Amino acid sequence: MKIKIVGVPVRDQQKALDFYTNILGFVKKVDMPLSEGNRWLTVVSKYDQDGPELLLEPAPNHFPPSKVYQEELMKAGIPYTQFYVDNLQEEYDRLTKLGVEFSMKPTEMGTVIVAVFNDTCGNNIQLVEEK
Amino acid sequence: MNYFIKELERIKGICFSNQIQIDLAVNTKRYIDTHFDQAINLNLLAHLQFTSKYHLLRVFKKYYGITPRQYLINKRIEKAKKMLKSGKSVSDTCYAVGFESINSFSNLFKAKTGMPPSVYRRATFDKSKRGI
Repeated sequence: MKIKIVGVPVRDQQKALDFYTNILGFVKKVDMPLSEGNRWLTVVSKYDQDGPELLLEPAPNHFPPSKVYQEELMKAGIPYTQFYVDNLQEEYDRLTKLGVEFSMKPTEMGTVIVAVFNDTCGNNIQLVEEK
Repeated sequence: MNYFIKELERIKGICFSNQIQIDLAVNTKRYIDTHFDQAINLNLLAHLQFTSKYHLLRVFKKYYGITPRQYLINKRIEKAKKMLKSGKSVSDTCYAVGFESINSFSNLFKAKTGMPPSVYRRATFDKSKRGI
């Protein structure tokens, strides 16, 4: 068994694709039309294109509990998804310049540094740098 | 301050208040990161940090969740994958990342990736050469 795909719920798939590729720097891997305008849409890290895919899934638009769950996580500031970076301060500076909003600035947490930003699609995302 | 930040601060106070131990774990990891291709063992790592090997082992595991030896092996395998993917031979890769025997390298590589290094090299190097 392999971990191939992990999902992140998004309200608007096109907006999510723009944010995850143009702002975060991921690369589109699969874009397949499904019913009612939905897409099977995945992105991967530019540096690990054979690695796990992130599925941008429109679950909150079709499954009300998913919407409630996403909203409550957002309100509490809880990131359910995290990405690793080599230099968090540099990434924080780069994303801030691009207008990304952080609810938590780079913060030391034992052997890692973490920060949390809003992905504009309904989610808090955590960035992690291993010290 | 939202719920998450409050919780993080609370957990930090409980789990990450001993900066001396954190520094010991981080410095050991950094040494492995930059010397993984050399002969490294617990005695050496403990000697470099002026501590006992039992204390170092306990502290490293506490903060990284794995032992220094497991971390070293993971690091070497990760580097080996990159070298094999770029077309380096199995034996060159084995010695370049710090293993002393091709047998132990092959066994560990297979245990970590599911395939022997020669198969991994064929699969990934050929693929990248063909631009797939």
